Amino acid sequence: MAAAVAVAGFAPVAQAQEEAPRGDVTLRVAVTQEIDSLNPFLSITRTGTDVLRTAFEQLTTYDAATLAPVPALAERWEPSADKLTWRFTLRDGAVWSDGRPITARDAAFTFDLMMRDETARTANGNFVALFESVTAEDERTLVVRTRSPQATMTALDVPIVPEHVWADLDPGAPPTFPMVGSGPFVITEFKEGQYTRLVANDRYWRGRPRIDRLDFVYYRNSDAAVAALRNGEVDLVNRLTPAQFDELADEPGVSRNKAKGKRFNEILMNPGAADSAGNPIGDGHPALRDPVLRRAIAQSIDTRTLVEKVWGGYGEPGSGYIPPVFADFHWSTSRPFDIAGANADLDAAGYARGPDGVRVDPRSGRPLALRLLAHAGTNFDEQSAPYIKGWLGELGIAVQVQAVSDTKVNEATTRGTFDLAYSGWSANPDPDYVLSLQTCAARPGADGKGATPDSFLCDETYDALYAQQVAEFDRGRRAELVKRMQQRLHELAPMVILGYDDMLEAWRSDRFAAFQVSPDPGGPIMNQQSYWGYYSATPIARAEEGGNTGLVLGAVGGGVVLLAGVGWWLARRRAASADERE
Amino acid sequence: MRRGGVVGGLVLVVVALLAVVAPWVTDPAGLDVTRVDGPRLGAPSGEYWLGTDENGRSVLLLTWWGARVSLLVGVAAAVLSVGIGTLVGLVAAMAGGWVSAVLMRLTDFFLVLPSLVLAIALSTVLERGVGTIVLAIGLTSWPGAARLVRAQTLAVAARPYVERAHALGGGTVHVVVRHVLPGVVPLVVVNTTLAVGTAIVAESTLAFLGLGDPTAVSWGAMLRTASSTGAVTAGAWWYLVPPGLAIAGVVLAVTVCGRALETVLDPRLREPR
Repeated sequence: MAAAVAVAGFAPVAQAQEEAPRGDVTLRVAVTQEIDSLNPFLSITRTGTDVLRTAFEQLTTYDAATLAPVPALAERWEPSADKLTWRFTLRDGAVWSDGRPITARDAAFTFDLMMRDETARTANGNFVALFESVTAEDERTLVVRTRSPQATMTALDVPIVPEHVWADLDPGAPPTFPMVGSGPFVITEFKEGQYTRLVANDRYWRGRPRIDRLDFVYYRNSDAAVAALRNGEVDLVNRLTPAQFDELADEPGVSRNKAKGKRFNEILMNPGAADSAGNPIGDGHPALRDPVLRRAIAQSIDTRTLVEKVWGGYGEPGSGYIPPVFADFHWSTSRPFDIAGANADLDAAGYARGPDGVRVDPRSGRPLALRLLAHAGTNFDEQSAPYIKGWLGELGIAVQVQAVSDTKVNEATTRGTFDLAYSGWSANPDPDYVLSLQTCAARPGADGKGATPDSFLCDETYDALYAQQVAEFDRGRRAELVKRMQQRLHELAPMVILGYDDMLEAWRSDRFAAFQVSPDPGGPIMNQQSYWGYYSATPIARAEEGGNTGLVLGAVGGGVVLLAGVGWWLARRRAASADERE
Repeated sequence: MRRGGVVGGLVLVVVALLAVVAPWVTDPAGLDVTRVDGPRLGAPSGEYWLGTDENGRSVLLLTWWGARVSLLVGVAAAVLSVGIGTLVGLVAAMAGGWVSAVLMRLTDFFLVLPSLVLAIALSTVLERGVGTIVLAIGLTSWPGAARLVRAQTLAVAARPYVERAHALGGGTVHVVVRHVLPGVVPLVVVNTTLAVGTAIVAESTLAFLGLGDPTAVSWGAMLRTASSTGAVTAGAWWYLVPPGLAIAGVVLAVTVCGRALETVLDPRLREPR
């Protein structure tokens, strides 16, 4: 039986089953990001984790509609009175895709491996940082002891792996296929830079998915992915640009989904980077240590215009630190866009304008010439940078935009070698992780390693609130604390929250019924917190191919290039004939 | 050949003039994204003859201003590249011996390096900007010129009048400047002209790959934003065609012009009448 599951991915093996005969209904998903790894301990990319979420269950998952933690492998859980000991009861009857039962030992093995092995902590180490011990009391009972109360215990985003497969493996090893998993799909094939293929898991405890296969096909750019969607080569595409999304509005057989994003986009303002011991590092402009200047900058960026122009209206202007999609924890605010007011504030604070109109820092005597690090190749950064430069120019700040590779931006923001820098994080339903980024503890060691800072903020008030919220188990009271933290961030302004972009998706509605979005309503189909989108895929009667405008345009573009080439070749040929005629 | 050269030259003069006067006859505010209010990816209309880009800026204005960067980089990089090449070629030919051997091995080394890859590496390591692009193109495309100039110098230096100049007591510098260089200059001029075309294409390539100055307007950068913002899917041909045609047109003009110059300066290439 296990072999049959594996084989089905490669050949159309006809197989008799009780109710669901294996057909060949495939959901083909276009992705534009390469998968870093399919090792559940290593994968951190959006696409990699999205694939793995469909193949490996966690102890808990998130409710499709509300994103509140709901049972998955664990059917119930119970903290002790001091919130230090958690007792998870695993589901009876759930089995791995190879037929072996899923027990508490598998979960204990997974967490224990992460506590023992640094490699196994690569992707999700933050969840076990406070763990003291993990034991399987019996087949169905998992007991976790933590050193201090941890509010994220019901939202442990850790794929549970089968002990009988991973016990003898190096946790950093590339996976072998088919991967024995517990989710609705089984990963059977992976070709780097090409595709990842999954087949339906017949033994999935919630019941087999309604489709037989799930293919993630890699496209190098989103125009190619959209063309493939129009031609019916793929069924689901996400991360569309506003222009593409608008264009697909009238496409027959294609439906669109505009989902609220869970990511906030920000510009960091180096508030005086320091390492974990408090020693200054990096080379940030000293004037940015002044909150008055940082607030003036924040006030001079019109996030509303950015949303309108850069995102074509598909997004929400900057507000609190936690994106509005997580309504419980979001703190709603808006900074008025007021360059005149910001100018007056800076005049009052002694930032006099030099002869070239650029203000001078009264303390260091240095002109306010700031570097703005942008991610080269990221649409939002490249398109919004000219706006930022224009607005801050009116404020008397000379901005030099430096578009560099993602790695370089990460390096600079980890070592403090920046003035202004684009950044952004995808928040989780549980806000702990993104909140932790702004604490003193998030500052790295002197060598720039050991922690991931965001803004290098180190504020006593904020840290005290952080410690309170992580130990607060009442959702309402915790949300109150989280909102106060966001207010504090707003006042100190170590960053400007630029906005939250919508996730724009489209799918072939002539082949598939509407997908389950999460959160519902307003959520995305792909890159959910859970697997509801792919699991809900329901095929409908197949209709035939759509238009081919993309192809025509491609031909026109190719024609222009060809024309140029021919012209050049003609010129050369004429010259050559002149040469020969000597 | 000649007529083509004249047409190419005229095109170049017109484009160069337009590029130079752009700041006076057009309003640079039209390039400032914070001050424009055109439609997003609007089709060509009476107000915007070539439509608008994703920020509502006029594509006509962008193409116009793009000529400034493209021509500047093209000419500067060509001059830099041919300058280095000429210097290396001249020194190698005149000094001879181990100096020549070392210089030519260096040239060979750069000749076999894929120049686009090297240029990409350079512009990734250095700060983004027009200067970097010029440097990256200039530093990677000089070996061809060096080889050419060395060959020509050797040919000229072997002529009897050069030997005579030496015999009459002319120093090396005197001989090079007064007798050798005049024989080499035509070749250098032609080479520079042809190199401009290559450099413009290289600049567009680098900008298209996102290695240029993100805030500068250039033809390559326009093609890049057009493709990254989904202009192809949106059917916004007016955003792709003008910069594409501009690159093709200018490069063609430069090439035709260079070939014509070649025949003018080298009588052996003249067409029989």
